[in-house]
Order: sequence, then C-alpha cells, then structure tokens
Amino acid sequence: MYELRGIRKVFAGGEAALDGVSLAVGRGEHVAFVGPSGAGKTTLFRILNLTLRPTAGTLVLDGRDVAGLSDAELRRARTRIGTIYQRQNLVGRLRVVHNVLAGNLGRWSTATALASLVRPRGAEEAARALEQVGMPEKLWARTDELSGGQQQRVAIARVLVQNPDVILADEPVSSVDPSLAVTIVSLLRDLSHERRKTLLMNLHSVELALAYFPRIVGIRDGRIHFDLAPARVTRELLAELYAGHRDDELQLERLQDGTRPFGGACRPLPGFAE
Amino acid sequence: MARGPSAAPVDRFPASPSRSVFPYVFGAVLLASVVFSLREAQVDPRRFVEGEALANVARFVRGAFPPKLSRDFLGLMARPALETIQISVMGTAIAVLIGLPLGLLATSSLTWRGILHERTSRSGRWTLGFVPYALSRATLSVLRSIPEYVWAFMFVRAVGLGPFPGVLAIGVAYGGMLGKVYSEILETMSPRPLETLHAAGAGKPGVILYGLVPQALPNVVAYTLYRWECAIRASAILGFVGAGGLGQQIELSMRMFQFDEVLTLLAILFALVAGVDWISGRIRARLA
Repeated sequence: MYELRGIRKVFAGGEAALDGVSLAVGRGEHVAFVGPSGAGKTTLFRILNLTLRPTAGTLVLDGRDVAGLSDAELRRARTRIGTIYQRQNLVGRLRVVHNVLAGNLGRWSTATALASLVRPRGAEEAARALEQVGMPEKLWARTDELSGGQQQRVAIARVLVQNPDVILADEPVSSVDPSLAVTIVSLLRDLSHERRKTLLMNLHSVELALAYFPRIVGIRDGRIHFDLAPARVTRELLAELYAGHRDDELQLERLQDGTRPFGGACRPLPGFAE
Repeated sequence: MARGPSAAPVDRFPASPSRSVFPYVFGAVLLASVVFSLREAQVDPRRFVEGEALANVARFVRGAFPPKLSRDFLGLMARPALETIQISVMGTAIAVLIGLPLGLLATSSLTWRGILHERTSRSGRWTLGFVPYALSRATLSVLRSIPEYVWAFMFVRAVGLGPFPGVLAIGVAYGGMLGKVYSEILETMSPRPLETLHAAGAGKPGVILYGLVPQALPNVVAYTLYRWECAIRASAILGFVGAGGLGQQIELSMRMFQFDEVLTLLAILFALVAGVDWISGRIRARLA
C-alpha cells in the first residue's frame, strides 16, 4: 500500500519535523503510531494523505511514486485515502447529511455537488453510514448541535461514504472521554476489518494502541524509534520513547500500576496478539 | 493556598519580557495627528456664532417646519422613492456579481497560499494562483477607491441621465468594496474543514461549496445587506449628479430653498433606510 523511503520534512524556518522515516505498510494492515506530542506524527499523516509534500525522500503509493503524479492523478489518489482528524473538521452550520455526503466530493461534478446542497443526493447512503456509526437519527440535525463524540462519528460516516482504501485517523479520540474513545477506536478497527481497509492511527494513548493494534510504530523527534508487535513493545522502549515528556511519563506510570483509564473494555480482535 | 517550603524560589521564574516602546510611540503619533488635523482642517466652533451663521441656520430650520405633507407632493414623491429602492437593489445586485468572483480570486487561501496549495508546483502557484490573485486585488482597489459620486458622473456622460448611471455607479464602487470584504471574510474562515475536503479528493469548487460558503454565509449576507442599506443613502447623493431617485428631488428642492420639501424627503429616506435595516435584521437572525 505505502512505501516510505527516507521521508524528511522541514517547515520553513524550523527544525526537521520528520527526519528520515522509512516504512512499509501492506494492504489491509492495521498500524498504530505512538510517541510524544511534537514527534512528527501529524506531519507524517499529512504526508500520507497527500496534502503535504515531503522535503526529501520518496513516498510510493501502490507502486507509484507520488512525486510523479499529475494534479488530476493526485486528486484521484486522494479519493482513495480517508482522513479522520483530531478535532472535528466538519462544517458546523451544515446539516449532518451534507457533511456525510461530502465524502462523495472527489467523485461528484460541481453541478452535482451544488444540487445536493439543495436536495441531498443519496441521503439513504448517508443514513446507512450513520447507522453503522450508531446514530441514524441524526441525519437531518445541524452538525454544530452535536456533541464532540457525535461529531467524530459523523466524520467516520463521511469516510465510510468516501469508501477509501486507506483510513488515516490522526488522534481521533484525543478530544473525547475515555469510554467513548474505546468505542470509537474499536468502531474504526472493526469497520476497517470488515471492509478490508488499511487503517493507520495516531494515538496518544499507548494503552489503546497496544490493545487494538497488531503493529505499533513509535515515533520520536521525527524518527522511527521502534516498529514492533505489541507483545514486543517493552516498558524500557516506551520509557525511552517518552523520556522527557512529563505528561506521557505519567501515562506510562499508570500503565505499570495497572490503573487502566480505559478499563477492561479493550479487547483485541481474534487472531491478534495480546 | 499556603505555600509549602518546597515552593520554587522567586529567581527561577522567567523574567518578564522587556517592555515595548511601541504603545508610547503609537500614542504620541496619534495625539500629534489629531492636534495637527484640528488646525489644518480649520475646526473652529466660533464660526457658528459669527455674522450671519445662526440666522442662516434659523432660516433653514424655520423653512423646514412644518414639513410639506400635501397629498400632491407626497403622491409626486412616490415614484422617486420607489426609484431609489430600485436603484439600490439593482446596484447591490450588480455589486455582488462583480464582487463575488473577484473576491474569491482575491482570497489567498483559495488561490495560492496555505494548506490547499502545499503540493501545487511553484510555477502553478504563481501563474494560476498569485497572478490572478494580485490582479483581482488591484482591480478591487481601483473600483472602490474611486467614489461612487465620480463613477456616477462618468456614467451619466456615458449613458445619459436617469437611474441607470446611478445603478452602474453603485454596482461598480460597491463591487469593489464587497469583493474586498468577501475576501477578508473568506480568509478568516477555519481552514480545517477545507483541508479535510481537499484531502478527500474534492476539487476547488467542492471545497468552496462545502467548506467555505457554509462557514462564511452569515457574514457575507450580513455585509451585503449592510451595503444595500448604504446603497439607499448613496442613491440620494447620486441624485445630485442627475442619477434619479430621491436624491434628485432633494437637490431640486434645496436649490429652490424649499426646505419643507427637503425635510419630507429626508423623512422618506429615513423610513426607507429603517425599513431596509429591519428586513436585513430579520434575514440575519434567520441565518445565524
């Protein structure tokens, strides 16, 4: 699916956000990315969803070097990548149905897009997607009247309508409460599993990552620190990964204490290592 | 809360940033410019009480009361009043037609800067982005820096007397203002919904329709309605150069020293502006 070789990203007037990231992700794989804030995870995801151009290095998507794509090809490639962001990137003033159907914009002509704002095209499709995320009754609600967790589900429903090959979720649960976080992470994992989609997720919570993902990539200072199955992610590795980041160290202490903010709700898919 | 013995010693607090002199310099310049302008603009209240000044004012006020409310006069003024509304509506409509496309082009986040253009090639950003952006910005400034009065003067020469040159003058001058303000509104909208749509493969029209327009609509509509209100007032001024409407009647009555007519006309104008304000308030409330 993805192949990254020596990806480097330097923002104007800043240090390198990513410094030589090489990584391969197979089709249908589920991978969690963990690491302290500021490690470059979000930058990596914006490169992966083709909105940011790396300063150096090669990004290969399904055997094609992305740097060689024309604008039209780039747009077509983007329709195959669905992104869920940390904060709700929905338009609050639009009804839920329009925010969900916006997943079609990569396929729709301008005329269709405009017509759909007046009379939603394929509202049943939007309703089905909302049913899958567990809130079919909100189809006609105004988006800004929903809670944060509900809006995050609308964002997932939009990605379902988009029907991409890869789902990139950039800290999808960092602004919702712990019980909802478990629901949303497992929802994303189960939906990706059923539909054979590749799922890449940035997670602040190591606990969620270890419980739900068969492959964990640790990122620190713009580099890959480890890339392992959860069973082989040791305390020492995590301690190194988060060294000097006070809040995250506290998180690890809790993990070692056995205080689990997500309770016993984390359950791995059958066949994945615990 | 009591401070424990382990409280950080004071010298470990970060030093406060050094004071900027900017506020003082700015304040001094502001004060100096007011004092300077006071003299050069010849602001002198004493001139109210010198010579004929008060008598003239009194003559105007005495002449204005009672306002002329005869059936004939009011009947005669119905047409110009309607014409004023029509000029302002058509003028604002033309202003939107000019301002919206130019305003979209003049929005840097849509044309060349920011997250939507991260992957656009440098030459593409320049030719398809920055050049049209700069041209539309320049066009908008020219349109709005020429006062509508001057535009009307030119259009009267071009298309003759009547409401049409007034409509064109408002359309062109307000088109420049609307375009500028539209682009400013659009640039301050959250880029995050735009990024999401863009990342999902939406083209620019899709990003505008689903990301930008819904966010900006209340502000864009409110400002357009405000401009409509201004257009009513402007059409009164434009009447002075023969562009029809109530303005032309005010000009005629002033020239004839018929201050009772002037007062009635001003009252009609006030009613029109208040009416427009009421309508636009209702629309804004619905959109909020």
